[in-house]
Amino acid sequence: MEFMGYKRADGAVGIRNKVLIISVDECCEGIARHIAKGFDDVVLLTNYYTCMLGGNEETFNQMVEVAKNPNVSACLVIAMGCGSISLEQIMSPISKTGKKALGINCIESGGTKKTIEQGKQMMQELVKYSNSFQREPVSIEKLIVGVKCGGSDTSSGIASNPSVGNMVDKFIDLGGTVIGGELMELLGCEEVLIQRSKNREVAEKIVSLIKNEESRWSVEGTEVETMSIGNSIGGLTTLEEKSMGALHKMGNRPILDVLEVNKNFIDKPKEPGFYLSEATMLCGGSGINFLSFGAQMIVWTTGGAGFNNPLIPVIRVSGNEDLINDDIDVDVTGIMKGIEGIDEGGDKIIEKIQQVANGANTNIEGYGESSMTLYQKDQRVEKLLDINCKR
Amino acid sequence: MTKKMIIMEDNDIVATALDDIKSGDTVHIMSSNNQELYTILAKESIPFGNKIALCDIKKNESIIKYGVCIGECTKDIEKGKLVHVHNVKSLRVDIPKSYKKEIIKQMNIDMEG
Repeated sequence: MEFMGYKRADGAVGIRNKVLIISVDECCEGIARHIAKGFDDVVLLTNYYTCMLGGNEETFNQMVEVAKNPNVSACLVIAMGCGSISLEQIMSPISKTGKKALGINCIESGGTKKTIEQGKQMMQELVKYSNSFQREPVSIEKLIVGVKCGGSDTSSGIASNPSVGNMVDKFIDLGGTVIGGELMELLGCEEVLIQRSKNREVAEKIVSLIKNEESRWSVEGTEVETMSIGNSIGGLTTLEEKSMGALHKMGNRPILDVLEVNKNFIDKPKEPGFYLSEATMLCGGSGINFLSFGAQMIVWTTGGAGFNNPLIPVIRVSGNEDLINDDIDVDVTGIMKGIEGIDEGGDKIIEKIQQVANGANTNIEGYGESSMTLYQKDQRVEKLLDINCKR
Repeated sequence: MTKKMIIMEDNDIVATALDDIKSGDTVHIMSSNNQELYTILAKESIPFGNKIALCDIKKNESIIKYGVCIGECTKDIEKGKLVHVHNVKSLRVDIPKSYKKEIIKQMNIDMEG
């Protein structure tokens, strides 16, 4: 299987051709927004937390890794000039991939109005550069798809997740790569995950990372809320059942590794196949995580609607007849009615993936985007929980 | 109207309702690839999305769905009856007692069954 993508200098291939503006400091966002006005295919990424490091290393790493994602053709980096994260720290690793990166220091460029003027000129140069990329045929081996669920309901465990799982196995057999896993949602599936691990090292990593997630969410005095009363009335009896339903969207192929977002590194898939990851269990934030792992697309199963991201197209799959609307890209309600098989559901998703990779818009691409939330582990809390950051 | 339930893997001992099932209904059990396997008589109401016992299940036995153990049976379950929080517990993190009581009340589950 092939798709038509944008070949980048580092060998990665994008399915979208976006210019990214990074506002390094939260106080630059207004300036960055002004610069972005009037340009198409421009996406703004803001660090809302601070202008300092000291515990924000994940956010810093993620800004860099998002810019390195192949859906980004070029990048403008804006810093106020008084923070501790320098332009060079962000731009240098981006430039090393062969990607065009320009930067502005607002103080040095003479204040807000002059920065906006200068930024717009730089954007013209970057957009011109971006437009020089044309789609070319490439092998599916360059395509990385993230899988995620949200607004889960009865139909998720029966129709949409199994259909996505079916797609995952077919997609990997064709030579592609899939990243799955909100680790907290896999609590109770450890035995199955160990069986699927490539080797003992990966199995141990999975178990310890799930345990870390459990520690982060379990605080004395509060219950770990793993299932709601609504989940149970909908038919879920145990946490294992809920987790197995979620795991169903991840197919059956061997787990090659668990990709981590950390203060010192963000992992990438090294060869085609299936990976677990520390994608958050919250939909909005998972978009940025998948981007920083190098994924170009997300397949999202839902009993609800929505979830969109401006940099990474999201294919929405649903089996809930009551909630099918024009947000949903792949309708698998036939499985719930007993008139369609999971195999057919998987084929429909593969077909949609190929169309979207080739440039077809998803149903709500360009509308109602979720925010670009960067990841942050509080290093102080990690230390208290005795969770070490180590390679 | 034909009432259907689905099993996710061949060795599952529970099936999930794709319709609201009433006590006395004959239910058609479907494979995940939409093949009709056999029929079974429902011995109590099984709301949409909930599970039916495909065989007699003894106390302490594993409940198999998705081909794996999703919990432990806490009291004997007769074939054709509802499998849920009143007769199954999690082996990982079980639902708090107060939640269970509320679920049983809201779903009007027959505790004698």
